[in-house]
Amino acid sequence: MFKKIILSITFSIGFMFACSEGDDMDNSQNDSFDRGNLQTNLADNIIIPAYQDLNQQLSLLVTAKENFITNSNQENLDLLRNNFLESYMVWQSIEMFNIGKAEEIFYRYQMNVYPTNTDEIQNNITTGNADLSNPNNNDAAGFPALDYMLYGTGGNDTEILDTYNNQNYGQDYKNYVSALIGQMKSITEIVLNDWTTSYRDQFIASTENSASSAVNKFVNDFIYYFEKGLRANKIGIPAGNFSSSPLPHTVEGYYVRENSKDLTLQALNDFQDLFNGEHYNTNDSGVSFKDYLNYLDRNDLVNLINNQLDEARAKISILDDNYFDQINTDNTKMTQAYDALQTVVVLLKVDMLQAFNISVDYVDADGD
Amino acid sequence: MKKIFTLLILSIAFISCSSDDDNTDNNNNQSVDTPANYQFTRNGNNTVSYSGQTQRIAMAEELISALKDPTRNQESLNAMFTHVEGDQDFNDPDMLELNASSKNVRSKTAASADYFSSNSTDANAIKANFDSWISSQVNDVFPNWGNTASPGNAGLAQELGGSIRYVNEKGLEYNQAFAKSLNGAFLADQICNNYLSAAVLDAGDNVTNNDNDVLVDGKDYTTMEHKWDEAFGYLYGAEEDETAPVLEADSFLSKYLYKVEADSDFTGIADDIYDAFKLGRAAIVAKNYTVRDEQIEILREKISMIIGIRAVYYLQGGKSEIANEDLPSAFHDLSEGFGFIYSLQFTRNPMTDTPYVSKSMVDGYIDTLMEGNGFWDVTPETLDQMSENIAAEFGFTVEQAAN
Repeated sequence: MFKKIILSITFSIGFMFACSEGDDMDNSQNDSFDRGNLQTNLADNIIIPAYQDLNQQLSLLVTAKENFITNSNQENLDLLRNNFLESYMVWQSIEMFNIGKAEEIFYRYQMNVYPTNTDEIQNNITTGNADLSNPNNNDAAGFPALDYMLYGTGGNDTEILDTYNNQNYGQDYKNYVSALIGQMKSITEIVLNDWTTSYRDQFIASTENSASSAVNKFVNDFIYYFEKGLRANKIGIPAGNFSSSPLPHTVEGYYVRENSKDLTLQALNDFQDLFNGEHYNTNDSGVSFKDYLNYLDRNDLVNLINNQLDEARAKISILDDNYFDQINTDNTKMTQAYDALQTVVVLLKVDMLQAFNISVDYVDADGD
Repeated sequence: MKKIFTLLILSIAFISCSSDDDNTDNNNNQSVDTPANYQFTRNGNNTVSYSGQTQRIAMAEELISALKDPTRNQESLNAMFTHVEGDQDFNDPDMLELNASSKNVRSKTAASADYFSSNSTDANAIKANFDSWISSQVNDVFPNWGNTASPGNAGLAQELGGSIRYVNEKGLEYNQAFAKSLNGAFLADQICNNYLSAAVLDAGDNVTNNDNDVLVDGKDYTTMEHKWDEAFGYLYGAEEDETAPVLEADSFLSKYLYKVEADSDFTGIADDIYDAFKLGRAAIVAKNYTVRDEQIEILREKISMIIGIRAVYYLQGGKSEIANEDLPSAFHDLSEGFGFIYSLQFTRNPMTDTPYVSKSMVDGYIDTLMEGNGFWDVTPETLDQMSENIAAEFGFTVEQAAN
């Protein structure tokens, strides 16, 4: 009898929940959480500082490039490579902000499409003056193209330096490195300036629950990035999750080889920090998606998301630094990392969006 | 007193719900009857469509038949499994435009939303099993097509009745392993764990769109209706007439539903399944998701039963043939049983939302069957024990399944 009563009460509670959900059919914000505070924290303490950091890193990269072009020796190559890798790490915190000017100018497509197309790069080197903002050159520009230029233009460092010092075509290679870095720096400045001069205010004011509001778009972008930029591009595609066999040449940082894991871990950390509202490169934190879920009494979901992100980090951490080797020796570890990331996708895309009452604005990244 | 209190809460809950419904057009409580046929129209147009399922079943049919053709090479068999749009991989006797189709079987093997979207590791291992059955058939069995099989050596084995079976060194027919495993990995998984899953039926705006009769661009159906039809198509997609299924229309679930229906211990299961498909589809039209979900539970249980029953049936068949001292016949039964056992990991117990028999249990059974010289020396005791264990998971008896 007692059991029955408990059961009935449970059922009744179930009905009540079902009912309250029925009220949420309209598309307005149904809670009084201050989304403006969340967006202000995102803009002022995470997004803009991250862009400022990348802009600064790219300035150092420009200087290192000038020195390398003046004197293409091992020392300058090493310095240039170091700056390249540091900028690439900072980029990991940026790729998820595909909103405002970044979205308008296809910023991330100009910065990080891989695998890069070496035929196109070679063609651009030979012809000179390629329009790097042209979408046709997305796979011949940005970090992946630079990865090839600094690590893939010869079988070893001596050969690479010989390429740049070659009397016939060395200058063409130097010009292309210069053009690549110049373009990356210039479009980063454009996006950063837009944030600091006008977009920041638009972003924090656009709080309504509509398909075009900044908050809805940002949440969608942030999840899309996790699903596509992080889960699929970094792990899933090379591991063969979208093809009949693994594609190890599609890893991020294919030519440098030893940095694929670092880039993924950095991306995962930046993603989790944003979810939790951690300020960029400081120990402070502010209003976040985590707080929003807690406000909606969904601290269960906050814990699930953070735990599963930690689980994914654990699976990624045991991978070889060099994904190319990992895939060729034991691809199962790659797919296990993919599976852990996929579990997070479901929590974000289904559970978190339902809690926020926000619709998904993109078609499945996987296709049928 | 407590009881009254409960009733009170319950009635309040109900009242608030029904008033809620009055305010919207979601007739969530609209009653729904089982239609006579699986026939649904909107403004006079047919809304039922599952051509992709029909195509995939036909592709699987040609592939399992080609696996018995020793003139085939691995490349052409793989191409049938992983067909790419436009490649000339099929004879396509029923003119279903298989070669022009963008569909293939492998991409829907171990590929359900519920079981595999976050488990590509197991999915890859399962797909690799199917790949290996193809390659082993070509590399180990085809070269020995004319040799007599013996323990440790692939070749032919002739049943007392005359039929010739082509087996590997353990007595396993790879073509049977492949074909029967598709019942679970491909068909049941797609039906029970993909198209009938909330992750698919209710994905994105499917519910809102179904509630408001928002149709798929250029089609006469809502996405939810279509997903349901795709589940239906994996069982009835080879039928001449979906409104009067005769079963045994293909070599997969349709055939084995027919066989199970013919066992008097389970007669009625065919109607139970067809009715649940009809009523669930009608419930979607009526926007009554409670009734729909009840049908999903019935379908998951009954379709899983087909696999469980046939697994035990063939284990027992193998045991009888061993007793008859007809090992080649035992090889054939046990090879079919191998595939149905493999399929168990894709079944769906609606009470737990997990397989009736877990993947690790299945792997254990397969290892046991393949131990040593495999079917050459498997014992009746082993087959009985396995039968008992499997039957117990489903709640039928070995005797019921065996005849």
